[in-house]
Amino acid sequence: MGSSVRKGKAVLPAEQAARPSREQPHRAATEDYHHEAQNANNGQAITASCKNQDTDLQFKIQAYIDKNTVMIFSNTACSLSAKVKELFKSMSVPFCSLELDQTEDGQKLQDVLYELTMETSVPIVFVQQKQIGNYDKTLKAHKEGKIQKLLETKRHDHVQDSYDYDLIVIGGGSGGLAASKEAAKYGKKVMVLDYVTPTPQGTRWGLGGTCVNVGCIPKKLMHQAALLGQAVQDSRKFGWQFEEKAVKHSWETMTEAVQNYIGSLNWGYRVSLKEKKVTYENAFGEFVGLHTIKATNNKGKEKFYTAEKFLIATGERPRYLGVPGDKEYCISSDDLFSLPYCPGKTLVVGASYVALECAGFLAGLGLDVTVMVRSILLRGFDQEMANKIGEHMEEHGVKFIKEFVPTKVERIEEGTPGKLKVIAQSTDGREIIEGEYNTVLLAVGRDACTRTIGLDKVGVKINERSGKIPVSDEEQTNVPYIYAIGDVLEGKLELTPVAIQAGRLLARRLYDGATLKCDYVNVPTTVFTPLEYGACGFSEETALEKFGEENIEIYHSYFWPLEWTVPSRDNNKCYAKIICNIQDNERVIGFHVLGPNAGEVTQGFSAAIKCGLTKAQLDNTIGIHPVCAEIFTTLSVTKRSGGNILQSGC
Amino acid sequence: MGWEEKVARGYSEFVQAAQQSRGRPVFALFCGDKDAQGRSWCPDCVTAEPVVRSELNSLPDGAVFIYCQVGDRAYWKDPSNEFRKNLKLTAVPTLLKYGTPQKLVEEECLNRELVHMLFTED
Repeated sequence: MGSSVRKGKAVLPAEQAARPSREQPHRAATEDYHHEAQNANNGQAITASCKNQDTDLQFKIQAYIDKNTVMIFSNTACSLSAKVKELFKSMSVPFCSLELDQTEDGQKLQDVLYELTMETSVPIVFVQQKQIGNYDKTLKAHKEGKIQKLLETKRHDHVQDSYDYDLIVIGGGSGGLAASKEAAKYGKKVMVLDYVTPTPQGTRWGLGGTCVNVGCIPKKLMHQAALLGQAVQDSRKFGWQFEEKAVKHSWETMTEAVQNYIGSLNWGYRVSLKEKKVTYENAFGEFVGLHTIKATNNKGKEKFYTAEKFLIATGERPRYLGVPGDKEYCISSDDLFSLPYCPGKTLVVGASYVALECAGFLAGLGLDVTVMVRSILLRGFDQEMANKIGEHMEEHGVKFIKEFVPTKVERIEEGTPGKLKVIAQSTDGREIIEGEYNTVLLAVGRDACTRTIGLDKVGVKINERSGKIPVSDEEQTNVPYIYAIGDVLEGKLELTPVAIQAGRLLARRLYDGATLKCDYVNVPTTVFTPLEYGACGFSEETALEKFGEENIEIYHSYFWPLEWTVPSRDNNKCYAKIICNIQDNERVIGFHVLGPNAGEVTQGFSAAIKCGLTKAQLDNTIGIHPVCAEIFTTLSVTKRSGGNILQSGC
Repeated sequence: MGWEEKVARGYSEFVQAAQQSRGRPVFALFCGDKDAQGRSWCPDCVTAEPVVRSELNSLPDGAVFIYCQVGDRAYWKDPSNEFRKNLKLTAVPTLLKYGTPQKLVEEECLNRELVHMLFTED
């Protein structure tokens, strides 16, 4: 349960993040004349998604041919192979050679190679993706000047006219839109395909992806609606006077306003793409062959397009439980934000930030909310903070059923919302419970949309278990002309700003000669639970594991927002924690804040952390008074000392 | 069946025209008032109108196109005028699809492709 990477997860430094090793594409002739193609096996548990091993080897071979101006399939024991390499060296032409006798699967590769090329022995030479052949043919071609001629043609000269587009982006979400607009800036011909497969309940939405339609945007707006409800209550203590009964909440009014705003964003993206001359089609894109995709619209009409490069930005969709009644009767976050009726008494299944944020605002709007969790809250996040979040929710009326999973969902009554019965079993198998709810919201994880887009047809490797795509630090998949960004990536943070940054930088590298890669380290995040949690850098657990207890110093404190004093809201709940690396000048390597406006607080400190903020610098910073964030400029009690951090008011 | 044009001057006439068109897709172009010579005080409106009119044939069947003159410059500049308050208009020219968040504002109205997209998208 729970997705492998989620917002706010303790950010691992780059070297820890899983990355496949890649043989380096051969660089300019200023480097060595040739390089040995490294063994392509990267030691990770990535298995080819296609069943046919031959096809897999074919793609491997094709990749070598595609990526290198001169590619020599060779054998260390073969004298003709040595001679052909000498030939290129004498021409001062760099080449890449793959020694089949020293490569894993070399024999199988060789067999497939012979079949593909109709040659019977090594060496087999390719120049600019054109097959030249064995040593004799290569020598002949060289004498006839053919090799020189091929080398003079730039790669995209002879294929430029044959592709429909320079770049086709599959997925019109945060990453896809950012990348396509950036690429168009450099005069590239770009197409974006975006298609929303309806949810089991039939929900669909417009252009913009998860964040805009069924993620960050509606979530934050509804979170705000809940906070305003609390503010209305607090306002009495500040002198505002009104009847208790006068304050009610209308789900329909809120949802209509939120959907209207989302509609304006969908439209805004349509206008933006048109203005930037990016072609947009509301169609489901899938690979059907080399450089080719098929786009199917909602009427079933199919069109085919080719492009020089592709970008996969298809994101994820909510996972279902796989128990009877889940798809028929339960909803997910995909449905919640446009639900035309109030969900009523709700059971939220899951312990992800999606589950807790949704449960949080539903409770804040006055609904009866229960959260059913299988094990821990917010897996991957700092657990001390996760537990404080849970405690706060419990103290404010959210019920938790811990260590249970639903086994069946039945409908007792029809209606909007109707009534559902949920049967659940404890994780140790010993207890069965039942409950009745108007709505069951599943938030048990999200699955990458990579299984049905034809990746096997073009040989793009995915992690079979998670469906995610491993990429290099330049977002390139194992197929050189296919890239991927956003939530679909393996081992990367699932956050809108990360996808946007990666998309923009990728487009600049591809089309503007830039070299800057996306920096995935120290990305700040915020969880918008009723008590908000902002974080940047290491969680306490990860810091302890990586640096050792004796090498880190943790400063912490509770704090009481001034605005909460008058209405007598929770004291000693808001909490600040920083983790410092003693061996590196007490550099701040972890920042955690639990309190109102956590996102606003964290953003500024994350910039400081990027600049190498140390505890001393923090202490030298004068606070702004009276605000919550100033606590970070006066932290003095360490966890090590065991000192008291309870507050008694300012 | 084609499309139909209605003309309105001022906010109440606009509301009336929109109500009469209930049940049909309604598109509206809001411009500054024209003087006796038929020229609007708003220069962008002068340029936008022919562009919008050139795309009217791509309106869906049964659609209503309301051409609305909002008032004189002084009325428009007043931040509490009814168009700003009730329809949330921020500028003229504005071309919108009534009852949806889809609209084009100012120089967007001069872009024929955008006008076409507004008229033909759902």
